[in-house]
Amino acid sequence: MERVTQLEYDEERAADMHAVAEARDQAALTRLFDYYVPKIRSFCLAAQPGANLMADDIAQEVMIRIWNKAHTYKPESASLNTWVFTLARNARIDYLRKNSRHQSDIDPEFLWQNVVDENADPFKDAQQKRDQERIQQGLDKLPKDQKQVLAKVYLEGKTHKEAAEELSLPLGTIKSRVRLALHKLTIYVKR
Amino acid sequence: MINYHPSIETLTDYAAGSLPLAHSLCVSTHIEHCQECQQQIRKLEMLGSHLFEQAKTENRRLSSLKDSFFQKLAEQPEPVDLDKPETSEVPAQSWNDDYRIPRSLRQFIKSSYDDLNWMRLSPSFKIATLYNEEGGAQVALTRVKAGAHMPTHTHTGDEITLVLEGAFSDESGVYRQGDFINRDASHKHKPIVTKDAECICLTVLDAPIEFTGWLTRLLNPIIRRHHPYSPQ
Repeated sequence: MERVTQLEYDEERAADMHAVAEARDQAALTRLFDYYVPKIRSFCLAAQPGANLMADDIAQEVMIRIWNKAHTYKPESASLNTWVFTLARNARIDYLRKNSRHQSDIDPEFLWQNVVDENADPFKDAQQKRDQERIQQGLDKLPKDQKQVLAKVYLEGKTHKEAAEELSLPLGTIKSRVRLALHKLTIYVKR
Repeated sequence: MINYHPSIETLTDYAAGSLPLAHSLCVSTHIEHCQECQQQIRKLEMLGSHLFEQAKTENRRLSSLKDSFFQKLAEQPEPVDLDKPETSEVPAQSWNDDYRIPRSLRQFIKSSYDDLNWMRLSPSFKIATLYNEEGGAQVALTRVKAGAHMPTHTHTGDEITLVLEGAFSDESGVYRQGDFINRDASHKHKPIVTKDAECICLTVLDAPIEFTGWLTRLLNPIIRRHHPYSPQ
C-alpha cells in the first residue's frame, strides 16, 4: 500500500518537473522546493554537522540548477530523485572545493557530466525501473551495519578509509560490508 | 577491450562524491571508455538517491530561505537557448594528430596534447603537470616513445595510471587505452611501451613527497645512465 502512494508522489513530482521544464511553472518549482530542500539540507548537514549556512547555500544552488537545467533532465535515463541527488552531490563537492582546505583546481562540472549513452535502448526505461525497484526493496532489507557504512560513504561524504577510521573497524571489514550490500542490491557483480 | 577497471570501492566513492577530485578525474576518464563501469555508476547513483531520499530531515521552517531563493531566481537572467547544452563543446578531434582529448581533461587541454608544457626527462620520456593539489595529489601526463622503457620507480603513496593513448606492459600485464591501473606504495614496476606507438598516460600520485623529490627520483636513474663515467 505504502509503495503505491510513494509511486504516486514520484509521479506528481515528475509532472511538476515537466511543468518547470516546459511551462517555466513557478508553482511547480515551489512544490519541488518544499520536497527537496529539506533533503538537500540534511544531505549537507550529514557531511558538515552544524553548517546551516552552507546547507542553505547549497540547497538554493541546487534549486537554481533545477530551474536552469530543467531542459537537460531526461526522465528516460534517470529518475528525478537520482537527478536531484547528483545535482546535490556535485554542488556539495563544488562548495567544499571552493571553501575548504581541500582547495582544488579541478572543476567537478567536467567530471560528472552525463556521459551520452550512444546505444540508446528502447528497453532502458523498463530496465531503469527494474533496477530502481530492486535497489529500493533491497535497501529496506539490508542489515543495519551494512546500511550504516553506505550512509557514511554516501551521505557523510566519507571515503571507505575514513569510514573505517571513524567506526574503528579494519578497512577490510568496511570493504566487505559495502561489497555484501552492493551484491545484495545486484549492483556489484564480481567480474 | 578494457581489462583493468577501478575497484568497486573506488566506483562507489566516485558515485557518492567522496573520492578525492584527482582520483575522480581518472575514474571519469575511464568511464568515457567503459560502458560496464558506466552501468555500475548509474546503479550506484540510484542507490545514492535512495539513501538521499530516506535520510531524516529536520522540521525547520524554510519560508525565509524560500523567499530569498525566489528573489535570487527573479534577479538572474532567464537562461537563454534552452535547447542547447550549456557547456560549449570543444572540438573533440585534435588537429595535428588523431588523438581525441577526453571530455574530463578538456578543462586542462584545449585542443592538443602538444599544447602542454612538456618537460623532457630523457630522450624518450616527457612529463607535463596538469596541476598539484594543495597538500594532496599530483596530476600529470606522461608521454613515452614507442618501445621505450619508463624509468623504474617506486612511490610512497598510491599511484593511479590511466592509459589515454598507446599501450604499455609491465610484469603483471599489458595495459591499453582506457585501462585503469592502481598501484600502492609497495609496488615497484618497470613499464615498457609497446613498439607500435607512443604511449600517453594520465597519472595521479598521492604525494606526501615534494614535487622536486619525486622528479629527482625519476631523474636519478636516467642521469646515472647518461653520465659519462657511469660504471655501466
